[in-house]
Amino acid sequence: MPDNQEHSSPHQHQEHQQGQEHHASPSAQQHPSPSRHETSPLPQQHPSPAQKSDAKGNANGQRGPGIPLKDRLWAFYAGKYKPLFIVPLLLMLLSLGIIGAGYASTGSFIVKDVSLKGGATITVPLDKEIDTPAIEHAIRAAMPGHDILVRGYGIPGQQQGVIISADIDINSKEQLDALLTAISSSLGSPFKEGSYGIEFFGSSLGASFFRESLIAMLVAFALMALVVFVYFRTFIPSVAIILAAVGDMLAALAFLNLFHIPIGTAGIAAFLMLIGYSVDTDILLTIRVLKRKEGTVDERIASSIKTGVTQTAIAILAMGIGFAMAQSDIIRQIMLILIVGLTADLVFTWIQNVGLLRYYLERKGRT
Amino acid sequence: MLLKRKAQTMKDTLRKIFTNWRILLMLFLLVIAVIAISPRPGREGLAIRSIDANSSAALAGMESPKPSAQPVSRERILSVNNQPVAALEDYNRITAALRVNDTVYLKTTKQQYPLKVKEAFDFITLNETELLTTEEIILVNETADNGSIMEVPRTINVTREVPKVMKVGRGAEDLGIRAYPAPTSNVKKGLDLQGGTRVLLQPEQELSPDDTASLIDTMTQRLNVYGLSDIVVREAGDLSGNQYILVEVAGASETEIRDLLAKQGKFEAKIDGKTVFRGGEDVTFVCRSANCAGLDPNRGCFSDGSQQVCSFAFSITLSRLAAEKQAAATAALDVVQDQGGSYLSKPLELYLDDQKVDELSIGSDLKGQAVTQIQISGSGAGQAKDAAAFTALQNMKRLQTILITGSLPVKLNVVKVDAISPVLGEGFVRNAILMTLIATFAVAIAVAIRYRTAILSGLIVVTMLSEIVMILGLASFIGWNIDLASIAGIIAAIGTGVDHQIVIADETLRGSRDGSLYNWRERIKRAFMIIMLSYFTVAVAMLPLVFAGAGLLKGFAITTLLGASLGVFVTRPAFSELMSILVKR
Repeated sequence: MPDNQEHSSPHQHQEHQQGQEHHASPSAQQHPSPSRHETSPLPQQHPSPAQKSDAKGNANGQRGPGIPLKDRLWAFYAGKYKPLFIVPLLLMLLSLGIIGAGYASTGSFIVKDVSLKGGATITVPLDKEIDTPAIEHAIRAAMPGHDILVRGYGIPGQQQGVIISADIDINSKEQLDALLTAISSSLGSPFKEGSYGIEFFGSSLGASFFRESLIAMLVAFALMALVVFVYFRTFIPSVAIILAAVGDMLAALAFLNLFHIPIGTAGIAAFLMLIGYSVDTDILLTIRVLKRKEGTVDERIASSIKTGVTQTAIAILAMGIGFAMAQSDIIRQIMLILIVGLTADLVFTWIQNVGLLRYYLERKGRT
Repeated sequence: MLLKRKAQTMKDTLRKIFTNWRILLMLFLLVIAVIAISPRPGREGLAIRSIDANSSAALAGMESPKPSAQPVSRERILSVNNQPVAALEDYNRITAALRVNDTVYLKTTKQQYPLKVKEAFDFITLNETELLTTEEIILVNETADNGSIMEVPRTINVTREVPKVMKVGRGAEDLGIRAYPAPTSNVKKGLDLQGGTRVLLQPEQELSPDDTASLIDTMTQRLNVYGLSDIVVREAGDLSGNQYILVEVAGASETEIRDLLAKQGKFEAKIDGKTVFRGGEDVTFVCRSANCAGLDPNRGCFSDGSQQVCSFAFSITLSRLAAEKQAAATAALDVVQDQGGSYLSKPLELYLDDQKVDELSIGSDLKGQAVTQIQISGSGAGQAKDAAAFTALQNMKRLQTILITGSLPVKLNVVKVDAISPVLGEGFVRNAILMTLIATFAVAIAVAIRYRTAILSGLIVVTMLSEIVMILGLASFIGWNIDLASIAGIIAAIGTGVDHQIVIADETLRGSRDGSLYNWRERIKRAFMIIMLSYFTVAVAMLPLVFAGAGLLKGFAITTLLGASLGVFVTRPAFSELMSILVKR
């Protein structure tokens, strides 16, 4: 059935080294449909000696009635990979725009929490439900000129306490006392010594930690890129992997900016974790597409999508549970950044990176 | 017949599992990890964290645990006055009712201690002054008979006007025991999980490695003197070359630590109440090399009843003024015979911040002599000779540190102070465990739905949990504290673990269903190609974090690295072997 499609393709002149002549039916059998793919015998898909193929061959050939929607979608995805670049590009530009707007208004490309800009966080366990915005309002009124943030923590449906962060000068006893007084009066009951936790952050430490983290991040990125380059020894595929990681991080950063979610030291850890998770799927894809010989390029991409999307979906599931359940702000912060970054990774890996690999193979096939 | 064949297959499978070295290696490491963690659920009593110096408890012979002691081996308080103590509240309730001069019977896992409750005093500085006359020795220039000018010590009376101080009793003093709920395993919880105080200090000037080491010694010593033993004092740095000193004290409040670190660290040696020398200025040299410091060869070790006692000795050099003061102070003392040696009737008492920390006997040959080179000796006791020698050397090091620099060599600025309430910590741990379990089972269900096989889910859950156990075992073994950042690291490590197992599952299952050209072993090899590359990228991404930012995220980076390495080299190979044995058919 699908064999004749190749010959009707207008892109027939674009030959590829990988793949095969009778261009089997990636459209019919290799799209992410687990049951069909696994059970199909695919007899005609062994590499042919000619090693000729046209990855885009079926793009136009499959339009028309009678062809399942899934197949048409795959044909669109595989054939129109160049126009599809607009999606990751827009996402990246949008992210940069949001980050830039944030930078223009606050002078920083992230909303820093007190651990990065200096101040104190006070965690007060409570045995009753309280109105967090009202408390935040009351403390703000009592401490004019300070940035006060109040969040509740606990398991869903049961608040277990509040976390108050304030950008006070930690060397000023008066400011700390004023803050503690404001908190206890807003909570309606003086809290007793030892029942609450306080963390102080010096502003100079925050600034130097932030600078350091940026360096650490750059070094991490450089080392990661080095490993990728040394392994693949080709420019475009390696850059594609790195670009996907950049895209993930920008998207997560933009999300944090958009919703004014402050991040601290834990956030930095999360961004480094994001590099790792992001690269996982890209490496899987690139090894399968470039280093494997069985099947067509489309088949290998489809199999990577199956494995990679499973990985990402399971990771997002586990992290969603972590985000919903965790009491610790640190853990929640990490989970949120990973969830957003991994969601963006679906676009940056399966549209941008796949597209770049197709482009690379196409170019390589031509020269 | 069918049943028999089934049993035969089962036997075959088990034989395959237990003869595969990769699986055996994982099982072996798991057993070691469990031994290192040594979980003891449901233990009773309160573990002793530390004993305050000069407190009722210290006078009754109770001792702080050694910092290196594993959590589950710590002495525990079982009952106070025959009332069992299950929680800190019980202990606080019973001890709050105590009155001055009461005797309390405290039963621990070691023995029963009778404690006598002391009276606590407040010192109130009054708004009036009084005149106080003290004897002081100064050096004056005097022309000797031969016309040369030399410095000679003279004792003079100095009268100063000092504020009047009133001593007011304020009831029973605390027993001086810091306790916490008995640990149920050897996994040491970080500060954010067990409560306590963390202070990050920055020295005003750059310190050489030697200075840093002695600073850390002094600070640890100082905190130990105050009876705090669960202490971490370590150097931290960042990529810009900034130096920091990180102090973590479990179970202490923020005010206590701030006060303690702010103290000057005044060291004085007194004989019969008179100050003869002070730390820092008067002690010009303390020998710490092997030729003049160590176990005393002249006295050696001997047994004293059931215990072994070893002696140590080291020499110090005093300034001339200090030597003269000592001569003046010892001239009037009597010589007494004790323990085979002859000593002066009053000992040399060492004070740190006005608290007596040690007492040394003075050899009779020093009486009235202005010697600048003196030998300080002491001893340490233990159950066996080795232990006694160890304690003796520990005591020696402690004394040396006090003598070298009672005060810190450099001013330190507090850049960060965290006080974490233990109430929160307990909640965090329970929450983290629950979260991990629910996330693990959610992953298992998702895998079962995706691959339509329960065996794979089971394997993934088993490997995830084994990885957690192995990371915790390794942490207990090397004494690494598990804090929130480490928990994040564990999550990162097992997260990548699941990712890798999905790759293995897909590479192997897909191949076997497609009738691939490659055999099973080849397919596993191909899966590992992907896994190793992503492992290396994660590993190099974590490395800079080990060194950056004052070590704030070191715990995270190291746990991730350790966990990912254990995963790639131990659990992933075992997982793929188990896959090939259980799923291949």
